Amino acid sequence: MKGKTGMYSLIASIVSSIVIVVLFLALALLKNSGRAIPLYTDVDIMAGMIFVFILSMIVSASIWPGIIEKRLK
Amino acid sequence: MGSDTIMKETIGIFGMTCMHCHKRVKDAISKVNGVKSVDVSLANNSATVEFDEGVTNLNAINKAVTDAGYEVGDRKITLSGSQEKPTDKSCPVVIEEDKETVEKPVEHDKSGASTTITLKISGMTCAACAANIEKVTRKLKGVISSTVNVSIEKASITYDPSRVSQKDIENAIKSIGYGIVKDKISFDVGGMTCAACAQNIEKVLKKLTGVESVAVNFSLAKAHVEYDSSLVSAADMISAIEGIGYTASRKVDKKESEDRERKAREDEIKKQRTNLIIAVGLGIPIALGDMANMFSNFLWFVPSFLADNRVLFVLTTIVMLFPGRQFFVGTYKGLKHGVTDMNLLIATGTGAAYVVSVAATFLDLGPGYMHTYYDTAALLITFIVLGRYLEATTKGKTSEAIRKLIGLQAKTARIIVEGVEKDVPVEDVKVDDIVVMRPGEKLPVDGVVSEGVSAVDEAMITGESIPVEKNPGDTVIGSTINKSGSFKFKATKVGSDTALARIIELVENAQTSKAPIQKIADVVAGHFILAVHVIALLAFFFWFFIGFEMFGVAGSAAFAGVSPFLFSLLISITVLVISCPCAVGLATPAATMVGTGKGAENGILIKGGEPLEMAHKLNTIVFDKTGTLTRGEPVLTDVKSSASHTEEEVLRMAAIAEKGSEHPLGEAIVKGAASRNINVPDAESFKAIAGHGVEAGFGGKRILLGTRKLMADNGIDVTHLNASMEKMENDGKTAMLIGLDKEAIGIVAVADTLKENSKEAVDRLHKMGIEVVMITGDNARTASAIAKQVGIDRVLAEVLPQDKASEIKKLQAEGKIVAMVGDGINDAPALTQSDVGIAMGAGTDVAMESAGIVLIKNDLLDVVASIRLSKLTMSKIKQNLFWAFGYNTIGIPLAAGILYPFYHTIIITPAVAAAFMAMSSISVTTNSLLLKRSRIK
Repeated sequence: MKGKTGMYSLIASIVSSIVIVVLFLALALLKNSGRAIPLYTDVDIMAGMIFVFILSMIVSASIWPGIIEKRLK
Repeated sequence: MGSDTIMKETIGIFGMTCMHCHKRVKDAISKVNGVKSVDVSLANNSATVEFDEGVTNLNAINKAVTDAGYEVGDRKITLSGSQEKPTDKSCPVVIEEDKETVEKPVEHDKSGASTTITLKISGMTCAACAANIEKVTRKLKGVISSTVNVSIEKASITYDPSRVSQKDIENAIKSIGYGIVKDKISFDVGGMTCAACAQNIEKVLKKLTGVESVAVNFSLAKAHVEYDSSLVSAADMISAIEGIGYTASRKVDKKESEDRERKAREDEIKKQRTNLIIAVGLGIPIALGDMANMFSNFLWFVPSFLADNRVLFVLTTIVMLFPGRQFFVGTYKGLKHGVTDMNLLIATGTGAAYVVSVAATFLDLGPGYMHTYYDTAALLITFIVLGRYLEATTKGKTSEAIRKLIGLQAKTARIIVEGVEKDVPVEDVKVDDIVVMRPGEKLPVDGVVSEGVSAVDEAMITGESIPVEKNPGDTVIGSTINKSGSFKFKATKVGSDTALARIIELVENAQTSKAPIQKIADVVAGHFILAVHVIALLAFFFWFFIGFEMFGVAGSAAFAGVSPFLFSLLISITVLVISCPCAVGLATPAATMVGTGKGAENGILIKGGEPLEMAHKLNTIVFDKTGTLTRGEPVLTDVKSSASHTEEEVLRMAAIAEKGSEHPLGEAIVKGAASRNINVPDAESFKAIAGHGVEAGFGGKRILLGTRKLMADNGIDVTHLNASMEKMENDGKTAMLIGLDKEAIGIVAVADTLKENSKEAVDRLHKMGIEVVMITGDNARTASAIAKQVGIDRVLAEVLPQDKASEIKKLQAEGKIVAMVGDGINDAPALTQSDVGIAMGAGTDVAMESAGIVLIKNDLLDVVASIRLSKLTMSKIKQNLFWAFGYNTIGIPLAAGILYPFYHTIIITPAVAAAFMAMSSISVTTNSLLLKRSRIK
C-alpha cells in the first residue's frame, strides 16, 4: 500500500510537472512567435523550464500523495 | 413491602460538631417515612440508615439532613441486606440506583464488529466506584458489557464502534468524576529545525494505530504521546520518527535528560556560531565583489580580484558547502520521506541563485546573463544562519521554568541505616526511610516529621514567604529548606512521586500541550510551505509572461538588460525566502511555555493550553464554601456577657466546661480562650448531655454550656440574651449559652470563618467584571451569612454534593463560561463539568486530577492571578499571531513585486527578505519572553 502510494505519487507528480512545463514552453513559444525579435532567448526558455519543473515537482509532490492515499482507500 | 426492599446506606454528614448536632441529624432522618433505623456517628461524620426502598429513597433522607442544617457528603457504600463493612474512603460521586440499567441484559453483537477496550481508571476508592462506572457505561447505547476491577483499577468494556465511540465511553466515565489514565510516553526529538518539522512528526505518529494524541514541541525538542500500549510500542514510534529523518530517544531521568538537552542546545549554539562566522567572513567580500561589478565607481576600494566571478564562485561554494549544507541536507532528508519544511524554502531560493550564477560564470548564456547572484546566495545563507543562531540562544530561555524546578531538587540525603547516619544519593532514599535534617539543609523527599521541631522554608513550592513550623506528625515537602532546628522525618514519597516531581511533570505536560487557538496556526503552518511554492510559481509565470514586458523591466534603470528569466527568478526566490512558517508555528507554543512557566514559579499550575486559553474568557466563578472560601474548621467568633459579668469571665467558664471535650466546637472555645491569654483550669467534673451541651463542676459551682433547651430544663432564664443569640444565629454562627448555677451569664459563638484573602479575592473578581457565586450544602441562612461577609451576591445553597455538577451545568446553560473552585473529593464532578476547574492546593488528589488549574498555595488571590496570567498569555499569543500572520501577509506580496509598477524597482531583495524572515521568528520568541516581566499578582 505504502509502496504503491509512493510510486503512483511520483508518477503523478512527474506527469503534472511535465504538463506545467509544456504549458510554460507553449506560452513562451507563442509569445515569441509573433515577434521579429524574440522576447525570450533559448536560455530563458530552457532555464525557465527547469525552474518551473522544480517548483512544480515540489508542489505536486506535496499534493498527490494525499489524493492517491484517499483514492486507494 | 417485603424485607428484600430494605436498603442500608452509609452517608457522609458534615457540619456536626457536638451531640446536639448528632441528635438533630438523628431526629431529622428518623422522621422520614420509611426509615427503619438510624445510627449517626459524630466521630466518623456519617450516618448509617436502614430504609424501605419502596417507601422512601436516599434523596429524601439527604434532604432531611440538609433541612436540618447539615451538609451531606458522599454515600460511602450501598448494601442490600448484606453485612459487608463500609469502606473508609468515599467515591467522588454516586450514581443513583437504576435497576433497569443494572439488570440490562447483555446485548449480543449481531454484526460481529464488537471491540473490547481496557481502560485504566483513576479516582476509584471502593467497590461502589466500580459499580458506578459499570452503570454509567452500560447506559450508553452500543456498550455490550462493562466490567470494572477496582483492585487493578481497570475497566474492560466491549462495545459496538458503529454505535458508540471510545471517546463517548471515556467522556461518560469522566463525567462522573473519574479519570482515564492513558499510557504516556515522552521522546526527546532531534533534528527539528522549524515548526513544520514538529508538524511532520505529529502527522507520522498520528498515522500509527493505537496513538491517541501527539503533541510535539519544537522549542523543547520533545514529543509527548498518549497511546494504547497493546496496539503500538515505543519502538514503533521511534522508528516512525526516525523514518522521516529525525532522531528520537525515550526520555530517561529528568536530570540526565536536562543535562543532555543543555548539551544539545550548547552544541547547536556552537554549530550555528561557527556557521555564522564563516558566512559573515565570506559573505561580506562576496557581496562587495559582486556589487563592484555593477557599481565600480562607488566601490573603488574593493580589490579587483574579488569582482572576478571565478573567485566569487569559489567563495560562495564554500558558503554553500559549510554554513549552507544544513539546508540542503535537511531538504534531502525531508523529501526522501515525503515531508517538506523550512529548509526546502531556503534550499530552493539559495540553490536557484547559485546555479544561475555558476551557469553565467562558466557558460555563455547570451545577453541578459552577464550579472551573477553569488551575493544573493551568500547573504541569504548568512542572514538565515544569523536567525538560527539567535533562535538557538533564545529558545532555551522559554523553558527556563522547568530547569529552575529541576534545579530545586536535593542531590543527597542523610538517612539512618542500621542505627547509623549515612549520606546517600537522593535516588537511593526509599519509602519509610528515616531522614535526618540539620539547619540549612534541603529536604530530599516528602515525608512526615517523626522527631524534633523546626521551621521549614516552603517558599519554593508554595510561595509562602514565612517559614512554616513543623512538629512531629506534620508533613514536609521535598526540596524545601530546613531553617532552624534539627529533626527527623519518615520518607513517604520518593522519586517521581514527590510533590516537586509531580509539579515538574505537570508543567512539562502543560508546556507541550496545545491551546485551541493553536489549531488555526497549525492549519496555516501545515499548508504554508506548499502555498508559498504555489505563490512563487505563479509570481514566476506572471513576471515572465506578463509583468516583464508590461512594466518595461528591461528598460528600467535598476534592471537594464536583465533577462526575463533572471528577473522572474529573482522575484520567485524573494517570495520563497521571505515566507516564514516558523513565526506562525512558534507564536502559540512560545507564549504558552513562558505563561505556564511563570504560573509554576508563582504556585499556579496550569495543566495545559486549554485551561490557559479558557480562563481569560471566564465570566462566572463558582466557589465551594467549606474549605475554599472558609477555613473549614470552627473558631471562636463572639463572646457576649450579661450585665453582671465580664466577657473574660464568660469565656473562661465556657472554656473550663469544654476543656474535657474533644468536639471541634469545644476545642474552638478552648483555643479561643488560650489566644486571649485566659488561664483555663481543669473542671472538677464533666458530663456531656447528648444533643444539648455539657455540664461541668468548678469551684463548687455548676457550669452549663449548650442550647436554650438545656437552660430551660435547668430552670435558667435566658430572656435577656435571646436577642443577641438570635443575631448570632442569623449570622450563621453556632451560639451557646453559658449558665453558672442558676444564672445565664453569657453566650459564646463559634463559626467556620473566612480565609484571610477571600473577601479581597471576591472584590478583585468583581472588579474584573466576573460574577462570583457560592455553592454549598449549608442551609440558606448560614450560606447567606457567609456570602454577605465575603461580598458574594449569588448563593446556591442546600446543594447536595452530587448535584454540584448539575448546578454548574445550569449556569453554563445560561450562556456563562464558568470556573469552579473547590478542594474536596465531592467537588471533582463539578470541576470536570466546569469550563475551567480550579483546585486548591491542599485539596484531594481527585480534585487536582479533575481540575485544569491547580493552586499550590491555599490562597484565593491566586484564582485572580491565574485569570490575569491567562489574559496576559492570550494577549501575547494574539500579538505573536498578529506579527507572524501580518509579516507574511505584507511580506509575500511585496516580495512578489506588487509595488514594482509604482517604483520600478524591487522593494525587497532576496537578501533583505532573508533578514526579515530571520527576524520574524526571533521577534515572536522575544515578545513571548517579555511575559516574564509582567506582574500577575
